[in-house]
Order: sequence, then C-alpha cells, then structure tokens
Amino acid sequence: MNIPPTLLVWLLTGGIFFLGCFSARADATPDAAIREKLVQAILSEGQVQQKLLNELAESGAKIVHDVLTAWTREGVYLYDGPDGSKVPVLLDDQLDGEGKARAICIIDGQFVKDAGGKELRFASADLNNAETDMRLRSSIQQSMDTLALAAPNPEERNSAVLKLGNSQKPRYIPILQARLAKETNAAVRRSMDEAIALLQLADPDPKVEIAAVQHLAELKSIGSVANIKSLMNKPGCPEDVVKACQRATHVIEQHISFVNFISTIFHGLSLGSILLVVALGLAITFGLMGIINMAHGEMIAVGAYTCYVVQNIFGSGFGFYITLPISFGGKMLSFGMHIPGINATGWWYESYFLFAIPLSFLMAALAGLTIERTVIRFLYRRPLESLLATWGISLVMQQLFRMVFGANNVQVNSPSWLLGHFSVNDVTFDYNRVFVIVFAILIVIGTWLLLTKTPLGLLIRAVMQNRAMAASLGVRTARVNMLTFSFGSGLAGLAGAFLSQIGNVGPSLGQTYIVDSFMTVVLGGVGSIVGTVCSAFGIGTADEVLQQTTGSPVTGKIVVLVGIILFLQWKPGGLFASRSRSLD
Amino acid sequence: MKLNLSKWLGACAAMLLAVNTVAADTIKVGILHSLSGTMAISETSLRDMLLFAFDEINKAGGIKVGDKSYMIEPVIVDGASNWPLFAEKAKQLLEEDKVAVVFGCWTSVSRKSVLPVFEKDNGMLFYPVQYEGEELSKNIFYTAEAVNQQATPAVDYLLAQGKKKFYLIGTDYVYPQTTNLILYKYLLLHGIKLEDIGGGLRKDDSGKVISAGKYTPFGHTDYQQIVAEIKQFAAGGDACVVNTINGDSNVPFFKEVAAAGLTPADCPVVSFSLAEDELRALPTKDLVGELGCWTYFMSIKSRDNRAFLKRWDEWLKTEDHPGVVKEKRMVDSPMVLSYDGAYLWKEAVEKAGTFDVDKVRETLESGDISFEGPGGKNTMQKNHHTTKNVYIGDTLANGQFKILKTFNAVYGEPFLLKDLDEKLSAMK
Repeated sequence: MNIPPTLLVWLLTGGIFFLGCFSARADATPDAAIREKLVQAILSEGQVQQKLLNELAESGAKIVHDVLTAWTREGVYLYDGPDGSKVPVLLDDQLDGEGKARAICIIDGQFVKDAGGKELRFASADLNNAETDMRLRSSIQQSMDTLALAAPNPEERNSAVLKLGNSQKPRYIPILQARLAKETNAAVRRSMDEAIALLQLADPDPKVEIAAVQHLAELKSIGSVANIKSLMNKPGCPEDVVKACQRATHVIEQHISFVNFISTIFHGLSLGSILLVVALGLAITFGLMGIINMAHGEMIAVGAYTCYVVQNIFGSGFGFYITLPISFGGKMLSFGMHIPGINATGWWYESYFLFAIPLSFLMAALAGLTIERTVIRFLYRRPLESLLATWGISLVMQQLFRMVFGANNVQVNSPSWLLGHFSVNDVTFDYNRVFVIVFAILIVIGTWLLLTKTPLGLLIRAVMQNRAMAASLGVRTARVNMLTFSFGSGLAGLAGAFLSQIGNVGPSLGQTYIVDSFMTVVLGGVGSIVGTVCSAFGIGTADEVLQQTTGSPVTGKIVVLVGIILFLQWKPGGLFASRSRSLD
Repeated sequence: MKLNLSKWLGACAAMLLAVNTVAADTIKVGILHSLSGTMAISETSLRDMLLFAFDEINKAGGIKVGDKSYMIEPVIVDGASNWPLFAEKAKQLLEEDKVAVVFGCWTSVSRKSVLPVFEKDNGMLFYPVQYEGEELSKNIFYTAEAVNQQATPAVDYLLAQGKKKFYLIGTDYVYPQTTNLILYKYLLLHGIKLEDIGGGLRKDDSGKVISAGKYTPFGHTDYQQIVAEIKQFAAGGDACVVNTINGDSNVPFFKEVAAAGLTPADCPVVSFSLAEDELRALPTKDLVGELGCWTYFMSIKSRDNRAFLKRWDEWLKTEDHPGVVKEKRMVDSPMVLSYDGAYLWKEAVEKAGTFDVDKVRETLESGDISFEGPGGKNTMQKNHHTTKNVYIGDTLANGQFKILKTFNAVYGEPFLLKDLDEKLSAMK
C-alpha cells in the first residue's frame, strides 16, 4: 500500500490535534472536512456517493488521491467500531511477523486502538473491503482525473492534462476550459491548450476539426501525430480536413526530426563527457607517464564505492566485517569496522553527493599513491612488466571490493536535484547529463590549469618529457612521479563518483570502462590531453548519431570500433601524435 | 554487511572431513546450479532454497515409499556459469552419483545444454525459472512460468488498463527474443496496430517477422537514445514498456527512465526479469510504481506464505550448510518454484511407490499431483508444466511488490507461437 508513509506524516503533523479515533475531534481544519467527506463517500451509495466524489475531486488534496487510489485497489477496509458503526480504515505498510499491520482511521489519520489504548493489528483477510464495482471504480477514476488537475505540483497537473487530452472524450473539454481560466503555470496552460485541441479532433463539425488541427500544428504537438493521422484516415473524412491534416503532420514531423537532431547531439556530448571523465585520468597515468595502467578501472570503482560509503554515512551508517582464512592459535584473523551514520534527512541527506565528490578524488588519489609507492616506482623503465603488475593489482582490488561490499552491486541513490529534466522546445535535457557535461568541462579546465599554469605542472611536464634530464637539473623526479600518478588516479575517482549516478556500482565496474578508456586515449594520441578531449567527444557523438540512424545500439558501436581501427592504421599516433622522448 | 565467514569456513572443513556417513535408507538427489561465475548471484539462492526444502522433508520423516522412509541426500554440483560444464556435471550426477532426480539450471542455454544428457540417460530434471517455452522434453518438468503465465497475463492486465501502445525492449538472447515475438503476435491478435508496437521489427528475406522489439547486449550502459525514443513513442499517451532486459543493465535503463520523467502513471514499465532478489541491488527509489509479473510475490498475504517465510527464516538461523548467506535474504518466484518442484516430486514418488524415473513420470503426468505452495496451488499437467496462480504487482520503495491483480489457476502452455500464427492468418 503506498498510502501510509504520507499518512504517517499526517499523523505526526495533524494527528496531534485529535485525541483518538473514537473521541470527539477538538478542531475542524479544512483537512478534517475533507477527511469527513471521504468517509461519507465511502459509506454512502448511488447519487449521493457520486456527488460527494465530484466535490472531493475539486479539493486537489493529496489525501483524497491516496485514499481513492487505495479504494480502487481494494485497499480500503471497514472496521466494525465498538458502537456498531462502520469505520473506514487503511492498513499500514509495515507488516509484523505474522503479516499483520496497524489500521489507520481515514477520518483522522490515527491508528485504531482498543478500549485500553493499545494499537490493534489486523491481517487484510481479517477485515472487509469497502467494496467497489466497475461503475464505482470508473467514477472514482474520473474524480481522480479531475482531482489531479487541481494537484499542487505542476508536473502532476501537466500529466493529468495530457491524459485527458489523449482520452478522446470531448466531455472533458468544459472541465479543461474551466481549469484553463484558473491555471497560472505557463507549461500547464500550454498543455491544456493542446489537450483541448486534441479533444476537439473528435468534434463532429469539420470546421472545429480544421481549427483544432491547425492549432496543433502551430503548437507542434508531437503527441498528436497519431490522432491526426487516424482522423485523416477515417472513412468519409471531408477533403479540406484531410488537407489540413496533411499539412499539420508535415509540420510536426519536421519538428520531430529537428528535435531528434538536437537531442542526438546532446546525447553525443553527454556520452563523450562520460568517456572524457573516465579517460582523463588514464591520459595522465598512461598518456603522460607511459604506464600501461590496467588498474585504472579499479580507481574508478574506488571513487564509486566512496560515493556509496558517503551515502550510507549520511544515512544509517556503514560497516563491514571480514574474516580471513588465516588462523592464529585457533582464532580466525578477522577485522571489521563500523562507521555510525548521521541519519541525515531532507536536503541535508541530498547533499551527500557534494561531499562524496572531493572524497572520491582523495580516496582514489590515496589508493594511487599507495600503488605507486609500493609497486609502480620500480617499473618505470619496464612498461610490459607494469602492465602485468597493474593487472594483478586490479584483480586484487576487485576481490577486496567483493570482500568488503559483497559480490552484488550496491545501491547508490541519486540525489533528487540530479534527477529529472527540463525541456526546451520538446528537447529533453536530463539534469544528470547536463551535470556530467559541466563536470567534464570543469575537470578538463582544472587539469589544463594545473599542467600549464602551476610550478608543479611545469615539473610534471619536464619529468614526463625527459626523466634523466629533469633529475640532473635537480627535480625530485620520484616525488613528481608519485604526485602525477596519484593525481591521475584521483581523476579516475571523480569519474567513479559520477558513474555511480548513472549506472551500476559493483566489483567489476572498472572492467566495464577500461577498454573505453584506453580506446579514447589511444585514438586521441598518447600523451596529448587535447587529443583525449577531441577523441572522447568524437567517439560519443559518432556513436549516438549512428545509433539514431541505424536504430540499433549494437550496429552503432561496431561501426565506431571499425572506424577507430581503420583510423589508427592510417594514423598510428592518433589524432594528436605527440613526440615525447619517453615514448620513443 | 557482516558475513559469517568463520562459521562458513568451519562448515567447509567439516564437510571435507566428513566421511560418507550414508545411512541405510537415503536417496540421492542432485542440485545443479552455478555456484560461481556471473550467474552465481541468482542461482545460489535456488541451491539454498532446495536445501531448505530437503531439510524440511527429512525433518518430517523423509520420503515414504512403500513402508520405508528415505532421507534425501543432496548431491550439489557447480555448473560455474559455464554451459558445456553443465552437461558434464549432469552426466556425472546421472551416471556416477545415480541420483533419482535433479533440480537445477537457470539460463535457457544451460537447460538446452543438459537436455540431451537427460534424454540419453533417462534422467529427470525440474526447471524452476521463467522461460520462453517452445520446448517439451519427456525428461524435464517445468515448474517455471511459461510465457502465458507471465508475459501474456501482464499484457492482458495492461490492455485492461486501457494501454494502446506497447514498446518492447530486451537483452539480446533467446528468452527476450522469443517472448517478444510471441507478444508481438499476441498484441496484433488483440487489435493493437502495427505502428503502436514500438522497438522495431526485423524481417527475413521472405518478409516474415523474425524479431520484434529493441535489443541491447548484456552489460549495455547507454540508454539515452532508447529512452528518448520511448518518450516520443509515449507522447501520444496510453503507452507502456515491456522490459525483458536481464541483469544489471536494468540500473542504467531505469535511471534514464526516471531522469527523462517517464512516470509509471503515464507510461509504466513491466519487467519480467526483476524479482525481489534482483531488486536488492537496484535503486528501488527509481522503480517505485513500475510493474512486475510472477507466480509468487513475497508479499502474498496468505497463511501458507506467512508460515513458509517464517519457517525459512528459522531455517536460516539454525542451518549449518556451507556457503549459505544468512543476512538480508529475500524469497522470489524462481526460489519458490524450486521449492514447489521438490514437493511435487516427493508427492509423485510417494504415490508411485518407487523412485523409478518412468513410473514417477507417469504419475506426474496423470494430472493428480498437486502441492499447496506459498504462492498457491500448483498442479502438474500432462504437458510437464504446472497450473498456478499469476500475480501482477507494483514495485514499492522497500523492494517488495504490492499485488494489484491475481489470475487464478493459469494453465501452463509452452507452445504459443504456432497457435498465434494460425489465429493471425485466420484473422487476415
């Protein structure tokens, strides 16, 4: 049942005004009046019930929506009160061990209690449903449709309007026109306009039909194409109506291809940004430093898991416990830790991601630092061995993730400010996609500034171009190597933080992106950051355009890969071949 | 996240040390699931459920054949998500261990791989996971949902809700391809127009439709274009999405759906591969209100189901089988159908009075063998499928389903394509 959480809120806020289910109510808020009416509607029949439902529909209150939804799903029960009256109740979501739940009185949102004040528990089979039949369900549905038109949230209003528009029932026209006069939100007004025109398509008068079709063409209503086409193909449709329809479909279809074009470019940019974010770290560790870093993917996973841990710390806490198969004097070696959660709620909880981003960078940088100090610094002159060693590291890290976080993927919930989208002229822009593009641009600028405008960047470039010469000029190359590698790893961690918002977080997360990362860096030209940027956006856009034109996600990918292979045959150095001595 | 590994290892060691302490009256029963590799996440749960069922049967006195009682002795082998290995392991179970029956397989390809082995050695396999149908072996009993016990009832429900446009999307392999082809024909038969079935069609040279719907490979992550396409498809209203995407690609798919503002109220997604066990690893916040269709939901409010869940929880607390994870366990349809299978087999053996495969098969085919399982009554049919209840549910934020509609006692029919083709050509 999806009502009770909200009802619990009602209970906490409004419920304090009431003494109990069967005691007299002390206050009569508008909410109480609506609840009173709901109860009457449930208990009444026929004409009276119909009238009450219509009145309830005008209220726009959430409680009405919740109770009516439960009612159509046989979720409203009748409890026999002590005085023999029928009391409509809902059952709570939380079942106890026996599958019983508390019952909530619709009249005041309180739990049903016995004479001694103890909360009673019921199984749904113990109670009688408030019965509904087809006719009643359809009139409840109708009230809910019009109820949604008065919902406080414009998005909900909008979707309700479109639903009525698509219903092809002209009887909604007056309801919509009445609402249009009251509506203030521009987007909803536009939808209402569209919905009225859509409903007018079903009008018997050809003149009204033509006007409606022309109006829909002006609005470039994508949703109306199917309706216009079916009107046009109706036998006995007057010729001038057919002509108007043809013109309208032409206009709208042109609009659709324009929308597709713009959204494909946008999708390409966002896919390119993901590739860029993922590959930028590798462009440093592999591109600049020349380490064939197979553990790059696991650095991404470190970032993603950091996000998961931060999310849990903001919630109920995070803990793990590992027992190693090693025994000391009969005792298993085991360790575990538990970080208590701060149980944040609301916007405070939603802001966890802002804390997770820098932490992801730090954790991955720290992991990179450790790997550089313990393994990679011995292998700078031996690239093939660095490949094997980093591959080994990647396997070890994957197993570590499994031990700590489990073999299953973990849940990372996106903060609500990253969910959702905005539309401009029917082109949808998802917030998280816009975010990744901005995010990618920012870290590219950051990296560029670091490499070209800071003393550290100067040293990095010097060491990467000629390690021996830099050392002979007094640069502490070991230190620069260490910092560069951990910076590259940190960038991978940032990528992980972002990927946790759009995909899976699991032990093999890194494996999914390692090929894409190498592909992007190699195509761009090893050692060139600009090359990585260009190749990431190039691959992203090409992939999406091909997906759009071939209509199949697989074909697009194959064509892109073949294209890259051919390109590298022609230009083995990539887009921006750099001449670094360390690579010779 | 606390894993009881010390106990696990202890039990492991104990098992290695244990000499075959086979009592006089035991009967060997095979469990053939992937306990390692990609499918292990799903299949280990089925192993656990079978062990629970066997422990329960043994505790109640075992299987009574004639005047003797036999205790079940499980023989567990690991298919390791490796399809040819499944065939080898099946051979080992039948020829070396000489088990009376095998419970196992998850993917259709593993079932196809062991099928010839079971037919050659005249073994008996109980298969518990929703599948595409179009198969009937005398050696396999399918407690699984056939397409008409999951996909078509879900579509019936959506049609009854007034949905007029259906977008088909799935992972590119045999189950989604076959299911969607059946649904495509089923929808045409129910008066849905060709242009209102989304996802695209593929035809062979003769113009016959061989594939319907949009397909992505396993592990696909970029659903931007597809969701944009669905959004345009749904713009005219009364649309829904039928999702047969398998595995963790569901996460990027549903995140994209949520971000693009496709709400369940406007365009619901009904998924056939997401049960309670899978929902543990998905961001359920993004899935609230989307639909599922199975023959069992953990939230079924029957006395049988409550008692069953209670027994399962108690068993988890006390059992000492190696490798059984005890925390945060869910029960879902494939698990319950494994459990039902074990009891259907027991019932048939007791009625036949022998473990002989041919006799037990005859008894199972008689149509008299049924079991009151947690999801309701299961009756084995002559065609090796079972009659059972089908439930449509609404995903809740806690990873459970709220049941919206129940279809009682649906007859399992594996062969739908031929029948649909005939009806379609009759309609023309």
